Formats: sequence, structure tokens, C-alpha cells
Amino acid sequence: MKFRKKGKVLLVIAIIGYLFLWGPIIVLGVFSFSSDSYGTRWLSFTAKWYGELFQTSAIMDAVIRSLIIASVTVLAATAIGTLAGYGLYKYKFSGRRVLRTSILLPITVPYIVMAGALLVYFTRVVRIPLGYPAIIVAHISFSAPLAVFITLGRMQRIDWSLEEASIDLGANRLTTWIKVTIPLLLPAIFSSAVLIFPWSFNDFTITYFVAGVGTSTLPLYLFSMLQYSLKPVLINGISLIFILLPTIAILVISSLQRESKKTR
Amino acid sequence: MGLKKFFIKKKANLSALPVVGPLSIWILLFVLMPLAVIFIISFLGRDITGSIIPSFSLDNYRLLFSEGSEYAKAILRSILFAFATNVACLIIGYPMAYWIVKHGGRFKPLLLLLVIVPSWSCYIVRIYALKQLVGYPGILNNFFLKIHLLASPVEILYTAPAVVLGLIYIWLPFMVLPVYASLEGINPALLEASVDLGATPAARFLTVTLPLSKGGIFGGTILTFIPAFGDWLVPLLMGGNKVWMAGNFIAHYFIVIGDLPLGSSMTVFLTAAIVLMIYLCIKLGGEEAIERIL
Repeated sequence: MKFRKKGKVLLVIAIIGYLFLWGPIIVLGVFSFSSDSYGTRWLSFTAKWYGELFQTSAIMDAVIRSLIIASVTVLAATAIGTLAGYGLYKYKFSGRRVLRTSILLPITVPYIVMAGALLVYFTRVVRIPLGYPAIIVAHISFSAPLAVFITLGRMQRIDWSLEEASIDLGANRLTTWIKVTIPLLLPAIFSSAVLIFPWSFNDFTITYFVAGVGTSTLPLYLFSMLQYSLKPVLINGISLIFILLPTIAILVISSLQRESKKTR
Repeated sequence: MGLKKFFIKKKANLSALPVVGPLSIWILLFVLMPLAVIFIISFLGRDITGSIIPSFSLDNYRLLFSEGSEYAKAILRSILFAFATNVACLIIGYPMAYWIVKHGGRFKPLLLLLVIVPSWSCYIVRIYALKQLVGYPGILNNFFLKIHLLASPVEILYTAPAVVLGLIYIWLPFMVLPVYASLEGINPALLEASVDLGATPAARFLTVTLPLSKGGIFGGTILTFIPAFGDWLVPLLMGGNKVWMAGNFIAHYFIVIGDLPLGSSMTVFLTAAIVLMIYLCIKLGGEEAIERIL
């Protein structure tokens, strides 16, 4: 009897937890269809905010900037991160521990610390122009370590005898890399990209520090909409899109994974 | 022999170079160097306008902790808020993870995704959503006023509890995940053994489950306490300009005032406090705490 009660308490807390995580976004999504210009009371159904959202060129420009930055970041960070993950797993070299510890830094130190440090560094020491170059360099510093850890996690589950077999059968290093190693690493590369893209697209703090003037990404633009009360009601619609897109992405990815398991 | 060993090591070094080289250089140039630079700047002098004077000085740190320093208060406030966030995330997050492990069945992956997905949407949008819900004019206030459950609007925004609420909202998922991972890793045979030996469910939880999930708890603590401690956007949006945390001072001194020496010393102090926290978490939670955050 007592045990049952405990189970109920757990269930109630779990429901509260999920409601807390999802409630605000779902409610906001629903109210994005209300004609109230503050988006906080239900007047009548309308989709006009969505029309306005897609016609506001400043928002669309910001989306494009964010997409550019996230794409470049994903390509560069996944490449150098996956390589390094492979190296850390396969080779023993001096400085290995130092490297492993220092890639923990950007992940564990608060964003504001790295953001401040990078701003000072870019403007006073190496003079990387604020805007696209600075944002992309900063984003790679943060996301490459993520790719390293994902790769390291995946590598333990890979059958490396295939690589040895390829070399035994006379393939040189490069051919082995292209024909064996990279295909083996593909799932890790894919997971890294899936994790890094939204991270880069959504980042606010680091981008805010190193963006300079005129390179407003979507999060930066949303922030200015809130700060200067420029039609914040439009953000209601954005929140629904932000929740729908990853959900659809997950459904697609998980169904793809199921497919690939079936074919195997 | 020694020479041979040296050569073997050297060879391994060389073949590792093309794969780990790019990241090593990148981390050195764009992570370690920037941190070193602000560390150095924090020990340089500054004139009244906040420009750097190239001479060694401890004045920045002295200024941070002088009588009635707002930054010192903000550090204490940040510790308090982060601690409250951490405890609240544990109180909600631990049972959530426990419930998923016990009753999730084949829906476990889906239930976990439902915890993670909200954290994939933009931070700003999420805080704004929370603000629209609990603020005034806000959705809850409007609703309760309309059905006459409230006589006058309740404004909780721009207070300390509102900031903590925002922090919990943002960082909760990062407590659930590591706790889930460590609970899932517990060998069920241990739980059965404790029941066979006559442990009541409560005793079993306290003597077996809880100690074995220690790594997850401290891993989750690293993932919630530290970002909450260094947060500046939640206090800015949920607290207005009234409830500043340490991060708000850093942003203010770097971006609004442009006082690099003082901003740097604030950043260095914040980082030092965080390194100490991580050290304590690893000391208390063991190596597993580190594993669980990755």
C-alpha cells in the first residue's frame, strides 16, 4: 500500500515536471493564434501574426544570418572535432590529458566568461573583425569539443578490426580513411551535426558579445524586439515554430533510424 | 632501450598530429589564449575612464571587494540563486528521472526526448514564454482575473523568486539527464538483494539507490549550478534591472562601460569560484560526476 502511494507521488512530480517544461511554450503557441496584440488574452482566432512574421524582412534576414553561421559552424566544428576525437581514442601522445582537460573548458565555464574573454581577445589582441568572422570562430570553439565527446562516446562501440583488415588487405592509410574509417564514423558525425546546429543557431550570449553592429542573428533580433517592445507578439508564433521544427526533426530521424535497423 | 621507446613515442606523436593538430591549435588560440589574456588584464592597472595602464596592480580585485561593493553582493546573490535552482531541479528532476527509469518501459527514449526538446528552442523564446505566462499583463493573470479567482493582478516578475523560477525552467532538463543515466546504470540485482535481505522500500532507496546515483546527482549539479551561477540573461529578462547577478556586472562592464580591467577581474573571480565548485562536485561525487556530464 505504502509502495503504491510512493508510485503516485512520483507520477505527480513527473507530470508537474513535464507540465512545467512544456506548459509555457505550448500555451504561448496557442496564444499565437489570438488576435490580442499583446498575445496574453484570447480574443478571436487569427493567423495574421504569422503573415506579419514572414513579411517582416528584419526577422527573415536574421534567420538567414543564423542559418549561415550555424551551417559554417557545423561543417568546421564537426570536421576538426571528429578528427580530434578519433585521434584521442586511437593514439597515445604527449599532451593528451592536457587536450582532454582543455576541451572541457568551453563546455563547463559559463558562457559569459568565454564571451567576455573572446570579446577582449578579438578586439585587443588578434583583431578578428566583429560580425560573421568573430561569431563563427567563437561558435567553433564551443561546438568542436561537443563533436569530440560525441565521437569519443561512439568510438567505443565501433568494430575497429575492419580498419585493420583494410590495411592488411593492402589499402593505404588514405584509402582506408575514406573507404572504412569515415563510413564507420558517419553516425558520430551525424549526431554531432544534429547537436551543434541548434546550439549554434540558438546561441545568444557569445554571439551578443562578439556580433558587433549589424550582424543580428535571430536570437539577437528577438532580444532587441523584447528590449524595445517591437511587436513582441510576433515571438509567440516563433515559439511555436521553434517547438515544431525540432519535434518534426526528431520524428524524421527516429523513423529513419528504425528503417535502417530494419534493413540491417 | 630508452632511445627506442623515445622513437616509438615520437612516431605515435607524428601520426596523431594531423588528426588532433587542428583542434589543439584552435583550442590554444581561441580558448586558452583569450582566458589567459583576461587573466593578465585583470592584474593590470586602470585609469579613471577604465583604460588599461600597463603595470601590475591588485586594485581591481580590491575594488571588487571594497565596502558596500555591488559586485560582491551580486556574487553572494548568484550563489544563493544557483543553490536554490540546483535544489529545486533536484527535487523535481530526481523523481522525474526515477519515474522514467521505473515506469517508462518502452517509452523511455520518448520520455527523455520530451525532457530535452524544450531546451533545443532558443533561450530567449523560452524565457519570453515564461514571462508571458506568469507576468502581468500575462496569460495566467488575465485568465484568473477573468474568472474572478483573483481580485487584483499578481505581479511576480522583477523579483528574486521570478529569477529563480526562470533559472529552474531553463536548467531543469540538465538535472534529469545525468540522474537518469546513473539510475539506469544501477544493477537490478543489487535492489533485489536488498529486498531479499529485508530492506523496506524506503531503506532500499536510502541505502542502495541514492548512494549509487550520487555520480548523477553531482553531475547534474555541475550542469545546473554552474550555468545558473553564471547566468545573466534570466536575471535581465525576469528580474528587469532590479535583480542583478554576477554575470550582469560582467556584461555591463565589458559591453556598456568598456572597462576591461574591472570586467576581467570580475570574470576571473567568477571563474575561480566555479572551478572551486566543480572541484567540490568531483570530490564529493567521484569521477562518475564528470562522466555523467558528457
